[in-house]
Amino acid sequence: MRAGRDERARVRGAQRGSASDLEALFRTYWPRAFRAAYLVTHDAGAAEDIAQESFLAAIRALDRFDRRRPFGPWLHRIVVNRAIDWTRARKLRGEVELVDSVPAPETAPAGGETLAALARLSPEHRAVVVMRYLLEFTPGEIADALDLPRGTVNSRLRRGLDALGDEL
Amino acid sequence: MKPELERIEIPGEHEARARSWSVVARSFHERKATRPRAQWPKVAAVAIALAALAAAALSSPGRAVLDEVREVVGVERAQPALFSLPAPGRLLVSSDAGVWIVQQDGSKRLLGPYREASWSPFGRFVVVARQFELTAMDPEGGVRWTLARRDVRFPRWTGSETDTRVAYVDRTGIRVVGGDGLGDRLLVPKVRGPLAWRPGAGFQLAYVDRRGRVVLIDTETGRVRWRTRPDGRVLGLEWSSNGSRLVARLIGGLDDLSIYTPRGALHTGFRTPRGRVTAAATRPASNARAVAVAVNGQARLFMPDVLRDALSGPGVLSRLAWSPDGAWLLASWPSADQWVFVRADGKRIRAVSNVSEQFRSRSFPRIEGWVAG
Repeated sequence: MRAGRDERARVRGAQRGSASDLEALFRTYWPRAFRAAYLVTHDAGAAEDIAQESFLAAIRALDRFDRRRPFGPWLHRIVVNRAIDWTRARKLRGEVELVDSVPAPETAPAGGETLAALARLSPEHRAVVVMRYLLEFTPGEIADALDLPRGTVNSRLRRGLDALGDEL
Repeated sequence: MKPELERIEIPGEHEARARSWSVVARSFHERKATRPRAQWPKVAAVAIALAALAAAALSSPGRAVLDEVREVVGVERAQPALFSLPAPGRLLVSSDAGVWIVQQDGSKRLLGPYREASWSPFGRFVVVARQFELTAMDPEGGVRWTLARRDVRFPRWTGSETDTRVAYVDRTGIRVVGGDGLGDRLLVPKVRGPLAWRPGAGFQLAYVDRRGRVVLIDTETGRVRWRTRPDGRVLGLEWSSNGSRLVARLIGGLDDLSIYTPRGALHTGFRTPRGRVTAAATRPASNARAVAVAVNGQARLFMPDVLRDALSGPGVLSRLAWSPDGAWLLASWPSADQWVFVRADGKRIRAVSNVSEQFRSRSFPRIEGWVAG
């Protein structure tokens, strides 16, 4: 409850032009937006663009933003939808960036197994898993955000979790 | 599951966060500076007035109102003629009368009855095309060489101070000729533009093949470096001035703009759900783009340093060109018969009316390039 009040105050402050309130919103929501975009796209550059563009879109719309609605979920649904679009576009075109060969890192990055398991899911399944378990949307909220039937969300969650469980 | 997802290490997260905050903070600052809350009623009034003016087809009383509106938002009164360019450099323009060079002081020279043109590197020469001829000339109108070819289109010049190439399309396909007019040869048969040389990378040419794929080819070796999968119809190709991004403007694809890295990977896309992109231009020495969009009969212009629309009005913005220093953007607005110069920060706008008449043209003149010097 307190967090909700703080968030509304920050949105109100940002709407009035307070840079410190904007910074507080950025500190609170950008890391999760970036992470969500990365987990869907598996591309750090794209995730940076998507999180940044989504935040800029949110700023542009601040004057029209209804303060009674929570800011975070609103931002995050923009991020996830953009990330899905980006991933679909890339997949359809089939480009893969040519990367010069680099020596393998001495230690595997943290969470590498989870990331690899996620990579085996389709972008749509990844998005649902990320929204449910990272962004903590309810299945109903996911259905609303992605414009999907509730049953589809549930089945994607189940299949996603099954696949992740097998891998992990 | 949540701890697992939060534990995943993302390369460069800290740097990405710093970069993003820098961009977001700057945009927020611009928003505060350009659109204080007190101006909202004025902005709304401008939008309503512009819509009404479209219906009134800019009658004389309508023009008076438009001028008043411009003054309210700080737009300069539309000038009846192009008295000068707002930034250093020279413009290349094609009209029904032919190809023109416009100097910074507004003086114009008609090079001849050609229909397309582009600058050579450093603006030393111009390559012009008409139906059966490709011609290289100096900016004073002196002809250096000509080639007789059928249905010449998309003349494009690239290279260094000492070695240049001209690519163009004719009835046989994409051809390449040396900047001295020698060594003309067919590069890719049966292909019809558009074309775009990659700046600063030897002689690499992007084109669209017969299957609608964007292809990058090394014109010296003939080696295809990469090609994309087809996605809609490519209307235009443009490299950023540093050669690090290729922008493809599409119709009927997943995106309205697809932005590629030099290695052919899709970097990002731009989509307008309820409209279409009518023009885009990458700001010199950056990867930032200005994009013109048409939505419900309204033209809207988005610029990298301006949070909201930099410009909006009835009709379509058909072409965009940045000044060589990146300080001003020139937008073609055929329905208003105007050119509109918008400063990069969006805080000043200069409009020039009667553009067709000034270039002796029935159709709206086309901006072919804005070069330094």
